[in-house]
Amino acid sequence: MSSRRPRSWQSSSASRITEEQINDLVSKLQAVLPEARIRRSDRVSAAKVLQETCNYIRSLHREVDDLSERLSELLASTESSSAQAAIIRSLLM
Amino acid sequence: MQAAKSFVQAFLKQMLLGIQLSAVSHRSGSLQERKSAIKLSADVAMAVARGSKKWTRGLIASLSKEEQNRSFRQFVLGKDFGRPAKLCHSSWKIPRSKNIVRRSLRFLSKRKSNIRAPNSSVLAGTLVEKRTQVLKRLVPGGESMDGFSLLDETLDYVTCLQAQVDVMQKLMTTLEASKHRADSNAQCPKAKLHLLAMVGSCYSTRKGLWKRLSKRPKLTL
Repeated sequence: MSSRRPRSWQSSSASRITEEQINDLVSKLQAVLPEARIRRSDRVSAAKVLQETCNYIRSLHREVDDLSERLSELLASTESSSAQAAIIRSLLM
Repeated sequence: MQAAKSFVQAFLKQMLLGIQLSAVSHRSGSLQERKSAIKLSADVAMAVARGSKKWTRGLIASLSKEEQNRSFRQFVLGKDFGRPAKLCHSSWKIPRSKNIVRRSLRFLSKRKSNIRAPNSSVLAGTLVEKRTQVLKRLVPGGESMDGFSLLDETLDYVTCLQAQVDVMQKLMTTLEASKHRADSNAQCPKAKLHLLAMVGSCYSTRKGLWKRLSKRPKLTL
């Protein structure tokens, strides 16, 4: 059973990482992915989880990139020299 | 799995500091420069707010190596790189970050020798192994992690990324709302309230601007 997991997943330190711990992490990772609600709770293969995780991380990076651009445009067009004061002011009014 | 509230607060606080700092130096910069500055603020804020994890060290190390982030290195490492020309009064006090950067730069150079070690996995061609290699490149500092740590760090990294996106979106919403502000102050969208609560808890102990503003009698929420 453990032959399905690559040997590199076994920790090199003295403590042995059990298959159960690895499965636990994989299922936690699956729960964090955006399609967790759509997909049923039965186990998906680790390879699929990893692939979806990679895609998700890339999409999050793109999102941050896009948000940075829009934020910088917004902040540039505020009159106040202190962006922090502008943000707090906008929150209060 | 949601990011801890303390992380979200710390992230917002650091990000606002970073924005303020970058506004000082990039007031008349190109769009690309300003965008990079915001992105840098967001990434550093995320790493600093999270504290000491493998991926945060990896992230700060790779950020400080980029050529365009010279001024960031100056602010963080201070005297080693000479004084920057303009320093606003509230300098970016990133607690423990000098140590984080130093440790992570050493961490990277030390790990480089380990990467050359031959990959002893017999199952190098399996799908999981391939995906793991891709994931290693995506997660900062992932190249030198063993499989199990990689999974653990990835979980943490994804959670923090989600929180980062969430806070930035809320920031966007409130800024946009203030621009297209209608006359009536009755409208207070949920995102605005949420962000307001976060800022409030960040700054509740700080004197000055926040206290002055909160004392205004006309304030209704």
